[in-house]
Amino acid sequence: MTTMTDKKTSLYDEHIKLNAKMVPFGGWIMPVQYEGIIKEHHATRNFAGLFDVSHMGEVYIKGKDSLEFLEYIVPQNLSQLKEGQAIYCQLPNKEGGLIDDLIIYNAKNIIEDVDYLIVINASRIDFDVPFMEKEAQKFDVKVINKSDDFSMLALQGPNSQYIIDKMGVNIDNQPEFFTFKKVLLDDCPVFLTRTGYTGEDGFEIIFEHKYASKLWNKILSYKDEFMVVPVGLGARDTLRLEAGLPLYGHELNENTTPLESSLGFFIPKEKEKDYNGKKLILGQKLNQIPLRRKLFAFIMEDRQIARNGYEVYIDNKKAGIVTSGAPSPTLGKNIGFCMIEFENLPSDLVAKLNNIKENIGTKIQIMVRNKLYNARIAKKPFVKKNYKK
Amino acid sequence: MNIPDGILCSKTHEWVLEEDGCVSVGLTDWAVEQLGDIVFIELPEAGSTFNKDEVFSTIESVKAASEIYMPISGEIVEVNEQLINSPELINDDAFSAWLIKVKPQDFQQDSQGLLEYDDYKDEVQ
Repeated sequence: MTTMTDKKTSLYDEHIKLNAKMVPFGGWIMPVQYEGIIKEHHATRNFAGLFDVSHMGEVYIKGKDSLEFLEYIVPQNLSQLKEGQAIYCQLPNKEGGLIDDLIIYNAKNIIEDVDYLIVINASRIDFDVPFMEKEAQKFDVKVINKSDDFSMLALQGPNSQYIIDKMGVNIDNQPEFFTFKKVLLDDCPVFLTRTGYTGEDGFEIIFEHKYASKLWNKILSYKDEFMVVPVGLGARDTLRLEAGLPLYGHELNENTTPLESSLGFFIPKEKEKDYNGKKLILGQKLNQIPLRRKLFAFIMEDRQIARNGYEVYIDNKKAGIVTSGAPSPTLGKNIGFCMIEFENLPSDLVAKLNNIKENIGTKIQIMVRNKLYNARIAKKPFVKKNYKK
Repeated sequence: MNIPDGILCSKTHEWVLEEDGCVSVGLTDWAVEQLGDIVFIELPEAGSTFNKDEVFSTIESVKAASEIYMPISGEIVEVNEQLINSPELINDDAFSAWLIKVKPQDFQQDSQGLLEYDDYKDEVQ
Protein backbone atom coordinates (compact mmCIF):
# COMPACT_ATOMS: atom_id res chain seq x y z
CA MET A 1 0.00 0.00 0.00
CA THR A 2 1.07 3.58 -0.49
CA THR A 3 1.70 5.67 2.57
CA MET A 4 1.37 9.37 3.29
CA THR A 5 5.13 9.76 3.11
CA ASP A 6 5.51 8.50 -0.48
CA LYS A 7 6.55 11.42 -2.66
CA LYS A 8 4.84 12.32 -5.93
CA THR A 9 6.72 13.41 -9.05
CA SER A 10 5.63 16.49 -11.03
CA LEU A 11 3.92 14.09 -13.43
CA TYR A 12 1.70 12.35 -10.87
CA ASP A 13 -1.48 13.91 -12.30
CA GLU A 14 -0.47 12.92 -15.83
CA HIS A 15 -0.09 9.29 -14.71
CA ILE A 16 -3.50 9.35 -13.06
CA LYS A 17 -5.03 10.84 -16.21
CA LEU A 18 -3.56 7.95 -18.21
CA ASN A 19 -5.05 5.49 -15.73
CA ALA A 20 -1.64 4.18 -14.65
CA LYS A 21 -1.43 1.65 -11.88
CA MET A 22 0.57 3.41 -9.15
CA VAL A 23 2.86 1.65 -6.66
CA PRO A 24 5.31 2.71 -3.96
CA PHE A 25 8.95 2.50 -5.08
CA GLY A 26 12.00 3.77 -3.22
CA GLY A 27 9.96 6.29 -1.22
CA TRP A 28 7.99 7.45 -4.26
CA ILE A 29 4.61 6.66 -5.70
CA MET A 30 5.36 5.66 -9.28
CA PRO A 31 3.50 4.19 -12.29
CA VAL A 32 4.15 0.45 -12.62
CA GLN A 33 2.16 0.14 -15.84
CA TYR A 34 -0.27 1.97 -18.11
CA GLU A 35 -1.73 -0.39 -20.70
CA GLY A 36 0.28 -3.48 -19.85
CA ILE A 37 3.90 -4.41 -19.17
CA ILE A 38 4.35 -6.65 -22.23
CA LYS A 39 2.90 -4.08 -24.62
CA GLU A 40 5.04 -1.32 -23.13
CA HIS A 41 8.12 -3.54 -23.29
CA HIS A 42 7.70 -4.33 -27.01
CA ALA A 43 6.85 -0.70 -27.81
CA THR A 44 10.17 0.40 -26.30
CA ARG A 45 12.20 -2.25 -28.17
CA ASN A 46 10.48 -1.58 -31.50
CA PHE A 47 9.46 2.09 -31.43
CA ALA A 48 9.76 4.34 -28.37
CA GLY A 49 8.85 4.36 -24.70
CA LEU A 50 8.58 7.34 -22.37
CA PHE A 51 9.42 6.86 -18.68
CA ASP A 52 8.99 9.25 -15.76
CA VAL A 53 12.25 8.79 -13.87
CA SER A 54 11.96 11.95 -11.79
CA HIS A 55 12.58 9.94 -8.65
CA MET A 56 16.25 9.58 -9.68
CA GLY A 57 18.65 11.77 -7.74
CA GLU A 58 21.02 14.44 -9.06
CA VAL A 59 24.14 15.73 -7.33
CA TYR A 60 26.41 18.60 -8.37
CA ILE A 61 30.12 18.51 -7.58
CA LYS A 62 32.14 21.70 -7.70
CA GLY A 63 35.40 23.04 -6.35
CA LYS A 64 39.15 22.97 -6.90
CA ASP A 65 39.43 19.26 -5.97
CA SER A 66 36.38 17.97 -7.90
CA LEU A 67 38.37 15.51 -9.98
CA GLU A 68 40.55 14.30 -7.09
CA PHE A 69 37.47 13.85 -4.91
CA LEU A 70 35.55 11.82 -7.49
CA GLU A 71 38.56 9.68 -8.29
CA TYR A 72 38.78 8.89 -4.58
CA ILE A 73 35.14 7.74 -4.34
CA VAL A 74 34.88 5.69 -7.57
CA PRO A 75 37.21 3.00 -9.00
CA GLN A 76 37.26 4.59 -12.47
CA ASN A 77 39.79 7.02 -13.96
CA LEU A 78 38.06 10.30 -14.70
CA SER A 79 40.93 12.49 -15.86
CA GLN A 80 40.25 11.54 -19.50
CA LEU A 81 36.53 12.31 -19.19
CA LYS A 82 36.03 15.29 -21.46
CA GLU A 83 33.46 18.07 -21.13
CA GLY A 84 30.04 16.66 -21.96
CA GLN A 85 31.13 13.03 -21.59
CA ALA A 86 29.55 10.56 -19.18
CA ILE A 87 30.84 7.40 -17.52
CA TYR A 88 29.13 4.57 -15.64
CA CYS A 89 30.68 4.28 -12.14
CA GLN A 90 30.18 2.59 -8.80
CA LEU A 91 30.30 4.11 -5.32
CA PRO A 92 32.13 1.63 -3.06
CA ASN A 93 32.27 1.75 0.71
CA LYS A 94 35.60 1.35 2.53
CA GLU A 95 35.33 -2.45 2.27
CA GLY A 96 34.63 -2.46 -1.47
CA GLY A 97 30.90 -3.20 -1.21
CA LEU A 98 28.63 -0.91 -3.20
CA ILE A 99 26.69 2.00 -1.76
CA ASP A 100 25.26 2.74 -5.21
CA ASP A 101 25.95 2.75 -8.92
CA LEU A 102 25.89 6.04 -10.77
CA ILE A 103 26.57 7.99 -13.93
CA ILE A 104 29.06 10.84 -13.71
CA TYR A 105 28.85 13.64 -16.32
CA ASN A 106 31.63 16.14 -16.88
CA ALA A 107 29.51 19.30 -16.69
CA LYS A 108 32.24 21.92 -17.07
CA ASN A 109 31.12 24.74 -19.39
CA ILE A 110 27.71 23.06 -19.70
CA ILE A 111 26.17 23.65 -16.28
CA GLU A 112 27.16 27.04 -14.93
CA ASP A 113 29.57 26.95 -12.01
CA VAL A 114 29.42 23.12 -11.79
CA ASP A 115 32.21 20.64 -12.48
CA TYR A 116 30.37 17.30 -12.45
CA LEU A 117 26.76 16.11 -12.47
CA ILE A 118 26.07 12.73 -10.88
CA VAL A 119 22.83 10.83 -11.40
CA ILE A 120 22.09 8.39 -8.57
CA ASN A 121 19.39 5.90 -7.62
CA ALA A 122 16.25 7.26 -5.93
CA SER A 123 16.35 4.75 -3.10
CA ARG A 124 20.02 5.59 -2.38
CA ILE A 125 19.92 9.41 -2.24
CA ASP A 126 19.77 9.32 1.57
CA PHE A 127 22.84 7.07 1.67
CA ASP A 128 24.94 8.52 -1.15
CA VAL A 129 24.69 12.19 -0.22
CA PRO A 130 25.77 11.91 3.44
CA PHE A 131 28.55 9.52 2.41
CA MET A 132 29.82 11.88 -0.28
CA GLU A 133 29.57 14.87 2.07
CA LYS A 134 31.64 13.05 4.66
CA GLU A 135 34.28 12.02 2.13
CA ALA A 136 34.31 15.56 0.74
CA GLN A 137 35.61 16.95 4.04
CA LYS A 138 39.11 15.87 3.06
CA PHE A 139 38.91 17.87 -0.19
CA ASP A 140 38.28 21.42 -1.38
CA VAL A 141 34.97 20.46 -2.95
CA LYS A 142 31.23 20.98 -2.54
CA VAL A 143 28.61 18.21 -2.82
CA ILE A 144 25.21 19.73 -3.63
CA ASN A 145 22.13 17.53 -3.58
CA LYS A 146 19.91 18.78 -6.43
CA SER A 147 17.50 15.85 -6.34
CA ASP A 148 14.50 17.96 -5.35
CA ASP A 149 15.15 20.52 -8.08
CA PHE A 150 14.79 18.39 -11.20
CA SER A 151 12.33 16.21 -13.05
CA MET A 152 13.67 13.56 -15.39
CA LEU A 153 12.29 11.67 -18.36
CA ALA A 154 13.78 8.72 -20.22
CA LEU A 155 12.84 8.38 -23.89
CA GLN A 156 14.07 5.01 -25.10
CA GLY A 157 13.83 2.99 -28.29
CA PRO A 158 14.81 3.32 -31.96
CA ASN A 159 12.33 6.12 -32.72
CA SER A 160 13.54 8.32 -29.85
CA GLN A 161 15.98 10.22 -32.06
CA TYR A 162 13.21 11.17 -34.49
CA ILE A 163 11.03 12.52 -31.69
CA ILE A 164 13.91 14.59 -30.29
CA ASP A 165 14.56 15.80 -33.84
CA LYS A 166 10.96 17.01 -34.16
CA MET A 167 11.24 18.78 -30.82
CA GLY A 168 14.04 21.04 -31.99
CA VAL A 169 17.30 19.09 -31.71
CA ASN A 170 18.26 17.82 -35.17
CA ILE A 171 19.65 14.30 -35.42
CA ASP A 172 23.06 15.77 -36.33
CA ASN A 173 23.08 17.93 -33.20
CA GLN A 174 21.99 15.23 -30.79
CA PRO A 175 24.49 14.16 -28.15
CA GLU A 176 26.38 10.98 -28.97
CA PHE A 177 26.27 7.82 -26.86
CA PHE A 178 27.24 8.56 -23.23
CA THR A 179 27.51 12.32 -23.69
CA PHE A 180 25.15 15.17 -22.82
CA LYS A 181 24.30 18.67 -23.97
CA LYS A 182 22.33 21.63 -22.72
CA VAL A 183 19.65 22.26 -25.36
CA LEU A 184 16.22 23.75 -25.91
CA LEU A 185 13.74 20.92 -26.32
CA ASP A 186 10.38 22.25 -27.49
CA ASP A 187 11.64 25.62 -26.15
CA CYS A 188 12.33 24.19 -22.68
CA PRO A 189 15.91 24.36 -21.38
CA VAL A 190 17.02 20.78 -20.61
CA PHE A 191 20.09 18.61 -20.16
CA LEU A 192 19.79 16.03 -22.92
CA THR A 193 21.84 12.87 -22.31
CA ARG A 194 22.35 9.86 -24.62
CA THR A 195 21.98 7.29 -21.87
CA GLY A 196 19.34 4.91 -20.57
CA TYR A 197 18.46 1.71 -18.80
CA THR A 198 16.84 -0.42 -21.49
CA GLY A 199 19.65 -1.49 -23.84
CA GLU A 200 18.09 0.62 -26.60
CA ASP A 201 19.24 3.86 -28.15
CA GLY A 202 17.61 6.73 -26.33
CA PHE A 203 17.83 9.77 -24.14
CA GLU A 204 17.46 10.89 -20.59
CA ILE A 205 16.19 14.43 -20.16
CA ILE A 206 16.78 16.46 -16.98
CA PHE A 207 14.95 19.76 -16.41
CA GLU A 208 13.16 22.00 -13.94
CA HIS A 209 9.81 20.72 -12.66
CA LYS A 210 7.81 23.46 -14.39
CA TYR A 211 8.48 21.93 -17.82
CA ALA A 212 7.47 18.40 -16.84
CA SER A 213 3.87 18.26 -18.09
CA LYS A 214 4.64 20.19 -21.25
CA LEU A 215 7.50 17.88 -22.28
CA TRP A 216 5.65 14.72 -21.22
CA ASN A 217 2.57 15.58 -23.28
CA LYS A 218 4.56 16.86 -26.25
CA ILE A 219 6.53 13.61 -26.51
CA LEU A 220 3.37 11.51 -26.17
CA SER A 221 1.71 13.60 -28.92
CA TYR A 222 3.95 11.67 -31.36
CA LYS A 223 2.08 8.45 -30.57
CA ASP A 224 0.68 8.05 -34.07
CA GLU A 225 3.74 9.23 -35.95
CA PHE A 226 6.41 7.40 -33.92
CA MET A 227 4.36 4.92 -31.88
CA VAL A 228 5.64 6.25 -28.55
CA VAL A 229 3.84 5.01 -25.42
CA PRO A 230 4.20 5.79 -21.70
CA VAL A 231 6.08 3.00 -19.91
CA GLY A 232 5.99 2.11 -16.22
CA LEU A 233 8.43 0.53 -13.80
CA GLY A 234 7.22 -2.97 -14.70
CA ALA A 235 8.57 -2.84 -18.26
CA ARG A 236 11.56 -0.80 -17.09
CA ASP A 237 12.50 -3.85 -15.03
CA THR A 238 12.05 -6.43 -17.83
CA LEU A 239 13.89 -4.17 -20.31
CA ARG A 240 16.91 -3.63 -18.05
CA LEU A 241 16.97 -7.31 -17.11
CA GLU A 242 17.09 -8.38 -20.78
CA ALA A 243 19.86 -5.84 -21.33
CA GLY A 244 21.82 -7.41 -18.45
CA LEU A 245 21.84 -4.20 -16.40
CA PRO A 246 21.96 -4.47 -12.59
CA LEU A 247 19.49 -2.85 -10.19
CA TYR A 248 20.67 -1.57 -6.83
CA GLY A 249 19.25 -3.59 -3.93
CA HIS A 250 19.01 -6.66 -6.17
CA GLU A 251 22.29 -7.28 -8.00
CA LEU A 252 24.23 -4.61 -6.10
CA ASN A 253 24.56 -4.16 -2.35
CA GLU A 254 26.91 -3.09 0.43
CA ASN A 255 28.40 -6.60 0.86
CA THR A 256 29.22 -7.24 -2.77
CA THR A 257 32.09 -5.77 -4.79
CA PRO A 258 31.82 -4.67 -8.44
CA LEU A 259 33.75 -7.79 -9.51
CA GLU A 260 31.39 -10.02 -7.56
CA SER A 261 28.43 -8.25 -9.17
CA SER A 262 29.94 -9.03 -12.61
CA LEU A 263 30.88 -5.41 -13.26
CA GLY A 264 34.57 -6.23 -13.69
CA PHE A 265 34.47 -4.84 -17.23
CA PHE A 266 34.03 -1.34 -15.78
CA ILE A 267 36.94 -1.58 -13.34
CA PRO A 268 40.28 -0.28 -14.66
CA LYS A 269 43.31 -2.53 -14.13
CA GLU A 270 45.50 0.45 -13.61
CA LYS A 271 44.78 3.28 -11.25
CA GLU A 272 47.61 4.78 -9.25
CA LYS A 273 45.50 6.90 -6.94
CA ASP A 274 43.91 5.38 -3.88
CA TYR A 275 40.13 4.99 -3.81
CA ASN A 276 37.59 3.55 -1.40
CA GLY A 277 37.69 -0.25 -1.41
CA LYS A 278 40.70 -0.29 -3.73
CA LYS A 279 42.52 -3.14 -2.01
CA LEU A 280 39.71 -5.66 -2.52
CA ILE A 281 38.33 -4.30 -5.79
CA LEU A 282 41.67 -4.07 -7.58
CA GLY A 283 42.89 -7.30 -5.94
CA GLN A 284 39.87 -9.12 -7.38
CA LYS A 285 40.28 -7.41 -10.74
CA LEU A 286 43.88 -8.63 -10.95
CA ASN A 287 42.88 -12.15 -9.77
CA GLN A 288 45.03 -11.72 -6.65
CA ILE A 289 42.09 -11.96 -4.26
CA PRO A 290 39.40 -14.62 -4.85
CA LEU A 291 35.76 -13.67 -5.31
CA ARG A 292 33.54 -14.59 -2.34
CA ARG A 293 30.44 -14.80 -4.52
CA LYS A 294 29.48 -13.96 -8.06
CA LEU A 295 26.48 -12.79 -9.98
CA PHE A 296 25.34 -14.91 -12.92
CA ALA A 297 22.69 -14.51 -15.55
CA PHE A 298 20.50 -17.56 -16.10
CA ILE A 299 17.71 -18.83 -18.32
CA MET A 300 15.04 -21.20 -16.96
CA GLU A 301 14.68 -24.48 -18.82
CA ASP A 302 11.41 -25.25 -17.11
CA ARG A 303 8.42 -22.94 -17.47
CA GLN A 304 8.46 -21.68 -13.89
CA ILE A 305 9.52 -18.08 -13.26
CA ALA A 306 12.36 -17.42 -10.81
CA ARG A 307 11.74 -14.41 -8.56
CA ASN A 308 13.86 -12.25 -6.30
CA GLY A 309 14.76 -14.21 -3.15
CA TYR A 310 14.21 -17.74 -4.49
CA GLU A 311 16.95 -20.22 -3.54
CA VAL A 312 19.48 -21.46 -6.09
CA TYR A 313 20.89 -24.99 -5.97
CA ILE A 314 23.80 -26.65 -7.73
CA ASP A 315 23.89 -30.46 -7.66
CA ASN A 316 21.01 -30.39 -5.15
CA LYS A 317 22.95 -28.25 -2.66
CA LYS A 318 21.97 -24.71 -1.80
CA ALA A 319 24.40 -22.37 -3.52
CA GLY A 320 22.83 -18.94 -3.68
CA ILE A 321 19.84 -16.77 -4.27
CA VAL A 322 17.92 -15.22 -7.17
CA THR A 323 18.39 -11.44 -7.22
CA SER A 324 15.97 -10.64 -10.08
CA GLY A 325 13.80 -12.78 -12.29
CA ALA A 326 11.04 -12.27 -14.82
CA PRO A 327 9.65 -13.52 -18.09
CA SER A 328 11.55 -12.00 -21.01
CA PRO A 329 8.98 -10.65 -23.47
CA THR A 330 11.61 -10.48 -26.24
CA LEU A 331 12.93 -14.04 -25.81
CA GLY A 332 9.74 -15.71 -24.66
CA LYS A 333 11.82 -17.41 -21.93
CA ASN A 334 12.12 -16.82 -18.22
CA ILE A 335 15.37 -15.13 -17.27
CA GLY A 336 17.09 -13.81 -14.20
CA PHE A 337 20.20 -13.02 -12.20
CA CYS A 338 21.45 -15.02 -9.23
CA MET A 339 24.22 -14.54 -6.68
CA ILE A 340 26.17 -17.78 -6.15
CA GLU A 341 28.09 -18.05 -2.86
CA PHE A 342 31.49 -19.68 -3.43
CA GLU A 343 32.24 -20.44 0.23
CA ASN A 344 30.74 -23.93 0.41
CA LEU A 345 31.20 -25.03 -3.19
CA PRO A 346 33.87 -27.57 -4.30
CA SER A 347 36.96 -25.80 -5.66
CA ASP A 348 36.73 -27.34 -9.14
CA LEU A 349 33.19 -25.98 -9.48
CA VAL A 350 34.31 -22.53 -8.32
CA ALA A 351 37.12 -22.64 -10.88
CA LYS A 352 34.64 -23.54 -13.60
CA LEU A 353 32.24 -20.77 -12.55
CA ASN A 354 35.09 -18.26 -12.53
CA ASN A 355 36.06 -19.19 -16.08
CA ILE A 356 33.97 -17.06 -18.41
CA LYS A 357 34.60 -19.47 -21.29
CA GLU A 358 33.40 -22.48 -19.34
CA ASN A 359 30.65 -21.24 -17.05
CA ILE A 360 28.01 -20.60 -19.72
CA GLY A 361 25.55 -23.49 -19.76
CA THR A 362 26.33 -24.67 -16.23
CA LYS A 363 23.26 -26.39 -14.83
CA ILE A 364 21.65 -24.79 -11.78
CA GLN A 365 18.31 -25.34 -10.12
CA ILE A 366 15.86 -22.83 -8.72
CA MET A 367 13.51 -23.59 -5.84
CA VAL A 368 10.03 -22.49 -6.86
CA ARG A 369 7.25 -23.24 -4.38
CA ASN A 370 9.25 -26.02 -2.70
CA LYS A 371 10.26 -27.78 -5.91
CA LEU A 372 13.51 -27.57 -7.85
CA TYR A 373 13.38 -26.52 -11.50
CA ASN A 374 16.20 -26.48 -14.05
CA ALA A 375 18.02 -23.44 -15.33
CA ARG A 376 21.35 -22.79 -17.02
CA ILE A 377 23.88 -20.03 -16.59
CA ALA A 378 23.66 -17.73 -19.60
CA LYS A 379 25.58 -14.93 -21.21
CA LYS A 380 24.58 -11.37 -20.49
CA PRO A 381 23.07 -9.37 -22.02
CA PHE A 382 20.16 -11.68 -22.82
CA VAL A 383 19.15 -9.37 -25.66
CA LYS A 384 21.68 -7.57 -27.85
CA LYS A 385 22.07 -3.89 -27.04
CA ASN A 386 21.00 -1.42 -29.69
CA TYR A 387 23.00 1.63 -28.74
CA LYS A 388 23.76 4.18 -31.45
CA LYS A 389 27.52 4.54 -31.19
CA MET B 1 -17.02 -8.52 -20.74
CA ASN B 2 -20.09 -10.59 -20.02
CA ILE B 3 -20.77 -11.23 -16.35
CA PRO B 4 -22.66 -14.52 -16.08
CA ASP B 5 -25.87 -14.58 -14.03
CA GLY B 6 -25.65 -16.23 -10.65
CA ILE B 7 -21.93 -15.71 -10.22
CA LEU B 8 -20.61 -15.47 -6.63
CA CYS B 9 -17.30 -14.00 -5.56
CA SER B 10 -14.94 -14.58 -2.64
CA LYS B 11 -13.09 -11.87 -0.78
CA THR B 12 -9.87 -13.42 -2.10
CA HIS B 13 -11.10 -12.63 -5.66
CA GLU B 14 -12.22 -16.00 -7.00
CA TRP B 15 -15.58 -16.37 -8.73
CA VAL B 16 -17.78 -19.50 -8.64
CA LEU B 17 -20.68 -20.50 -10.85
CA GLU B 18 -22.82 -23.48 -9.97
CA GLU B 19 -24.52 -25.37 -12.80
CA ASP B 20 -26.18 -28.77 -12.33
CA GLY B 21 -24.12 -29.68 -9.27
CA CYS B 22 -20.79 -28.72 -10.85
CA VAL B 23 -19.01 -25.52 -9.84
CA SER B 24 -16.69 -23.58 -12.16
CA VAL B 25 -14.02 -21.49 -10.44
CA GLY B 26 -12.13 -18.55 -11.92
CA LEU B 27 -10.51 -15.24 -11.05
CA THR B 28 -12.56 -12.05 -10.91
CA ASP B 29 -12.09 -9.35 -13.53
CA TRP B 30 -10.90 -7.02 -10.75
CA ALA B 31 -8.18 -9.46 -9.68
CA VAL B 32 -7.08 -10.01 -13.28
CA GLU B 33 -6.93 -6.26 -13.83
CA GLN B 34 -4.72 -5.92 -10.75
CA LEU B 35 -2.39 -8.72 -11.88
CA GLY B 36 -1.79 -7.33 -15.37
CA ASP B 37 -0.34 -9.54 -18.11
CA ILE B 38 -0.67 -13.17 -16.99
CA VAL B 39 2.18 -15.33 -18.25
CA PHE B 40 1.98 -18.59 -16.34
CA ILE B 41 -0.45 -20.68 -14.33
CA GLU B 42 0.07 -23.84 -12.31
CA LEU B 43 -3.11 -25.89 -12.03
CA PRO B 44 -3.81 -28.90 -9.79
CA GLU B 45 -4.56 -32.36 -11.14
CA ALA B 46 -8.09 -33.54 -11.74
CA GLY B 47 -9.11 -35.95 -9.00
CA SER B 48 -7.39 -34.02 -6.20
CA THR B 49 -9.47 -32.58 -3.38
CA PHE B 50 -9.06 -29.27 -1.58
CA ASN B 51 -10.67 -27.64 1.40
CA LYS B 52 -12.18 -24.19 1.30
CA ASP B 53 -9.45 -21.50 1.64
CA GLU B 54 -6.64 -23.89 0.65
CA VAL B 55 -4.23 -22.77 -2.10
CA PHE B 56 -5.02 -24.77 -5.25
CA SER B 57 -3.14 -22.81 -7.92
CA THR B 58 -0.44 -20.22 -8.49
CA ILE B 59 -0.73 -17.59 -11.16
CA GLU B 60 2.12 -15.42 -12.39
CA SER B 61 1.97 -12.04 -14.02
CA VAL B 62 5.09 -10.39 -15.42
CA LYS B 63 5.61 -8.74 -12.03
CA ALA B 64 4.79 -11.36 -9.42
CA ALA B 65 3.40 -14.74 -8.41
CA SER B 66 0.02 -14.89 -6.64
CA GLU B 67 -1.77 -17.75 -4.94
CA ILE B 68 -5.34 -18.70 -5.71
CA TYR B 69 -7.56 -20.05 -2.94
CA MET B 70 -10.40 -22.58 -3.07
CA PRO B 71 -13.65 -20.65 -2.54
CA ILE B 72 -15.43 -23.93 -1.67
CA SER B 73 -14.42 -27.44 -0.60
CA GLY B 74 -14.57 -30.25 -3.10
CA GLU B 75 -13.00 -32.55 -5.67
CA ILE B 76 -11.51 -31.17 -8.85
CA VAL B 77 -13.19 -32.92 -11.76
CA GLU B 78 -11.74 -30.89 -14.64
CA VAL B 79 -8.87 -28.47 -15.24
CA ASN B 80 -8.83 -25.88 -18.03
CA GLU B 81 -5.79 -27.28 -19.88
CA GLN B 82 -6.02 -24.56 -22.52
CA LEU B 83 -4.76 -22.03 -19.98
CA ILE B 84 -1.45 -23.84 -19.51
CA ASN B 85 -0.27 -22.84 -22.98
CA SER B 86 -2.42 -19.70 -23.28
CA PRO B 87 -2.63 -18.09 -19.84
CA GLU B 88 -3.36 -14.75 -21.54
CA LEU B 89 -6.92 -16.01 -22.14
CA ILE B 90 -7.52 -15.05 -18.51
CA ASN B 91 -6.68 -11.43 -19.38
CA ASP B 92 -8.96 -11.56 -22.41
CA ASP B 93 -12.06 -12.60 -20.46
CA ALA B 94 -11.84 -13.42 -16.78
CA PHE B 95 -15.31 -14.98 -16.68
CA SER B 96 -15.04 -17.33 -19.65
CA ALA B 97 -11.54 -18.45 -18.58
CA TRP B 98 -12.56 -20.85 -15.82
CA LEU B 99 -9.61 -22.51 -14.08
CA ILE B 100 -11.15 -25.62 -12.57
CA LYS B 101 -14.50 -27.43 -12.26
CA VAL B 102 -15.30 -28.76 -8.82
CA LYS B 103 -17.67 -31.36 -7.45
CA PRO B 104 -18.58 -29.49 -4.27
CA GLN B 105 -18.71 -31.08 -0.86
CA ASP B 106 -21.41 -28.78 0.51
CA PHE B 107 -22.05 -25.88 -1.84
CA GLN B 108 -25.04 -24.69 0.21
CA GLN B 109 -22.90 -24.13 3.28
CA ASP B 110 -19.66 -22.97 1.55
CA SER B 111 -21.42 -20.42 -0.63
CA GLN B 112 -22.86 -18.58 2.36
CA GLY B 113 -19.70 -16.55 2.84
CA LEU B 114 -19.55 -15.57 -0.86
CA LEU B 115 -20.78 -12.28 -2.29
CA GLU B 116 -23.03 -11.44 -5.22
CA TYR B 117 -20.98 -9.79 -7.98
CA ASP B 118 -22.35 -6.27 -7.38
CA ASP B 119 -21.65 -6.48 -3.64
CA TYR B 120 -18.16 -7.80 -4.37
CA LYS B 121 -17.50 -4.88 -6.71
CA ASP B 122 -18.62 -2.43 -3.99
CA GLU B 123 -16.28 -4.15 -1.57
CA VAL B 124 -13.14 -3.92 -3.72
CA GLN B 125 -13.68 -0.42 -5.07
